[in-house]
Amino acid sequence: MLYREAGDFKGSYAADIQTFPIKGERYLFWAFVAFCFLVVPFLITPYWEKSIIVPFLIWSIVALGLNILTGYCGQVSLGTGGFMAVGAFACYKLMIAFPDLNIVAVIVLSGFITAGVGLLFGLPSLRIKGFYLAVATLAAQFFLVWLFNKVGWFYNYSASGQINAPTRYILGVAVTGANAPPWATYLLCLSFVFVFAWVARNLTRGRLGRSWMAMRDMDIAAQIMGVSPLGSKLSAFAISSFYVGMGGAMFFSVYLGAVEVTEAFNIDKSFDALFMIIIGGLGSILGSFLGAAFIVVFPVVLKNIMVGGLGWSTDLAAHIEIMTIGALIIFFLIVEPHGLAQLWRLTKEKLRLWPFPY
Amino acid sequence: MNAPIMPHPVAGTEFRLEAHQDDIPTGQTLLKVDNVSLSFGGVKAIREVSFDIRKGEIRAIIGPNGAGKTSMLNVINGFYTPQQGTITYRGVPRRAMRSTQAARQGISRTFQNIALFKGMSTLDNIMTGRITLQKRNLFWQALWHGPAQAEEIEHRLAVEHIIDFLEIAHIRKTPVGRLPYGLQKRVELGRALAAEPALLLLDEPMAGMNLEEKEDMSRFILDVNNQFGTTIALIEHDMGVVMDISDRIVVLDYGRKIGDGKPAEIAADQAVIDAYLGVPHHD
Amino acid sequence: MSVAMLNLTEVVLNGLMAGIMYALVALGFVLIFKASGIFNFAQGVMALFAALTLVGLQTGQVPFAHLINAIFGTNIHHFGWTLPAFLAVILTLCVMVAFAWAFEALVLKHLVNQEPIILFMATIGLAYFLEGFGDLLWGADIKAINLGIPSGGSFWWEDVTREWAPEGSDYWGMYIDKLDVVATVVAIVLVTSLTLFAQYTRMGRALRAVADDHQAALSVGISLRTIWVVVWSIAGFVALVAGVMWGAKSGVQFSLSLIALKALPVLILGGFTSIPGAIVGGLIIGVGEKVAEFYIGPLVGGAIENWFAYVVALVFLLFRPQGLFGERIIERV
Repeated sequence: MLYREAGDFKGSYAADIQTFPIKGERYLFWAFVAFCFLVVPFLITPYWEKSIIVPFLIWSIVALGLNILTGYCGQVSLGTGGFMAVGAFACYKLMIAFPDLNIVAVIVLSGFITAGVGLLFGLPSLRIKGFYLAVATLAAQFFLVWLFNKVGWFYNYSASGQINAPTRYILGVAVTGANAPPWATYLLCLSFVFVFAWVARNLTRGRLGRSWMAMRDMDIAAQIMGVSPLGSKLSAFAISSFYVGMGGAMFFSVYLGAVEVTEAFNIDKSFDALFMIIIGGLGSILGSFLGAAFIVVFPVVLKNIMVGGLGWSTDLAAHIEIMTIGALIIFFLIVEPHGLAQLWRLTKEKLRLWPFPY
Repeated sequence: MNAPIMPHPVAGTEFRLEAHQDDIPTGQTLLKVDNVSLSFGGVKAIREVSFDIRKGEIRAIIGPNGAGKTSMLNVINGFYTPQQGTITYRGVPRRAMRSTQAARQGISRTFQNIALFKGMSTLDNIMTGRITLQKRNLFWQALWHGPAQAEEIEHRLAVEHIIDFLEIAHIRKTPVGRLPYGLQKRVELGRALAAEPALLLLDEPMAGMNLEEKEDMSRFILDVNNQFGTTIALIEHDMGVVMDISDRIVVLDYGRKIGDGKPAEIAADQAVIDAYLGVPHHD
Repeated sequence: MSVAMLNLTEVVLNGLMAGIMYALVALGFVLIFKASGIFNFAQGVMALFAALTLVGLQTGQVPFAHLINAIFGTNIHHFGWTLPAFLAVILTLCVMVAFAWAFEALVLKHLVNQEPIILFMATIGLAYFLEGFGDLLWGADIKAINLGIPSGGSFWWEDVTREWAPEGSDYWGMYIDKLDVVATVVAIVLVTSLTLFAQYTRMGRALRAVADDHQAALSVGISLRTIWVVVWSIAGFVALVAGVMWGAKSGVQFSLSLIALKALPVLILGGFTSIPGAIVGGLIIGVGEKVAEFYIGPLVGGAIENWFAYVVALVFLLFRPQGLFGERIIERV
């Protein structure tokens, strides 16, 4: 199918501002969605679920959240790991306190709780900017992890300091715990990703999104145009934390099942999320997905080659892995600082004109 | 919802900048600056300046570099808080005010060094100008389809009028960072107009432009003033333009007001000639 | 002096010296930020890498031994010689200069004029790379550093301070680590020489010019690329000093790279561009942290030094957003 806009006339503004303005692209997108929902559940294996697809989906939500804050609103955050921990522990406490509450509601509520915490840690952004703020968000990372590690109430005073997700069901099918079938966890995560990616798209294309981007591009001018720094920065912090919190909740309940906070939500998680949005593309919904896919899949591939293929020891493989990831990040930044999403855009530009160069 | 794409409207025929209506009759005082002083540490940027801006006029503020002109605009729209003096806008006196509040009350502006949102398209930049007029809350925005989209389209219509008026339809979806300087200035005017201001502040709208671009910009400014009745205060260094388009002129020098009056009076004022104009116009 | 007073004095003194150690790391950040506007997240890993290299060279380790063994099935680890300390230091410095040059040529050169966040991300990438590379090169086991720096508590000082306590009280004297004293002296020497270098040499003047305004410096013929190599080399040197001091204290191991995280609150307190800010900020954080750990720590379960410094810096910033030594920010449009 040729990628063309010729003959695809827009008769209304509603048609002009839709997400996929080109017909072919729109059909392809819906075909892909149908494939994900209707075909993949029958193909998915436990290995693919546990090591690639479910982590990818959960990280996509986290990356979407961070992208709203950093990519759209321009506030660099290094506290993602801490906010994921808030989501995870909120999820745990809710699951224990209200055993009958539906897991979907639990995850969304965890998101709201994290949004409240994010709002609190977003307050300094009204006074300080740029790297000063980035460092300030590290305070959130360290403080939150310390809190969940030190205060027994959060992990119900378990001896190991670990939290474990009890089994919960949707329509009689387990989606958390050890017995959850791969297709069920997959469908749960996919539904969340689908709905909240759509919401993210809606938020970023309207008034709120423009107020974020205005703050990012030129904060003083934005203020003078009537964008309230309080409203736009704090809403970005809250909504971003909402996404990150839901991601953290699913990371704990659906994916890992058991979590020790200093291990599962340390500062490396914050960096991973930042890598995702930078490699994927700042200020791009698609970029969040591409970045998450890259950061999730790449180490798996590398490890399979070195440990599985060459038979090297795991610590040696780990050294090479971290080195390669570092080098690749630099490489990506040099080749395309605007991320994979920009490469995709450029490819589409080329496709529109293909086979002619201009 | 399904507002059709409009056929090119004649600029200004059905479109009005009326979001910030008030009942001050044309020719009466819209904004009054009274005995304002502003300093940064030891540097006095403005010293005891008073003047007024009347509804419907084009008011120019001129003076040498460093005379405090931009600081004056910053005081008017609340970006700086003067140490002394009051600003009375629509009969309400105040000294301190947030710039976001000023924007909500219909004071809009452009900047000396272009301050567009570089990562956004022309369309989005101008749409940002309408941010104080859009009301849908988070919930509706998250849903999009329905009220939020309807509101978006309603404002898009208004913005399309402005785009048409400023003759920038061809760059509607171009990221502003890629535009040449003159067009960026025009987009910035569009963004300020989109707020449907009662008072429009223009900080050197013609700086760095060639003759043709200056002519275009003068035409736009006059059209805005004539067709929409928008009150305009502008800073400009090109004396030819200032004398031609403005109704009254304030002259600042070292933060003090040294002249105030109609263009012809200013041109003949010896103090102004000494401080700024240099050679008298009649020779 | 009462025992409580003496305890407080001890805590403050130790805090001041810990602060010097933080300042040593913060200094590396400031140097690079001033000269190139880059927030170099890899400074901590550079310290680790420098210390690893120093130990590796001194004890005659075979580089990449682990990898070579894995590929060829051999079992090599050491060449079997030991280099004198000064030679090892000089060789390590050469490695750090080579690293600075390589980083400039391979990375910075291609990222000129990018947004600060892109450069910041590149340095996080660098941090990951160096960490993996250092481990691959020299192995990830904990190593002891042996440069003949005195360490351990000073008995002399314990004896002196025991006299200060009131008669009959159960006071055993203050504990002060000799290593901390050495670190303080080294830090003072380092800062003095850096200041002299910046003030009185041609290269130093060029450095300051670049720090002030890249474009203007370029226009008078200063080569930005040379400056960058020089600055990163100096930062590498500072990293080596910090790495040696911290390494002597707690062994050369991965956690060494985390001292960078300790230095960050110092940075936001003192400002990214101020050398005196880094030092005074370091001292404030050091003292604040030790005092808090001593008095508040037991109440809340301890281990608060991970985040306490950040909170101090944050609260401070809320009242003075320009930092300790920054000028008041006047926003312009």
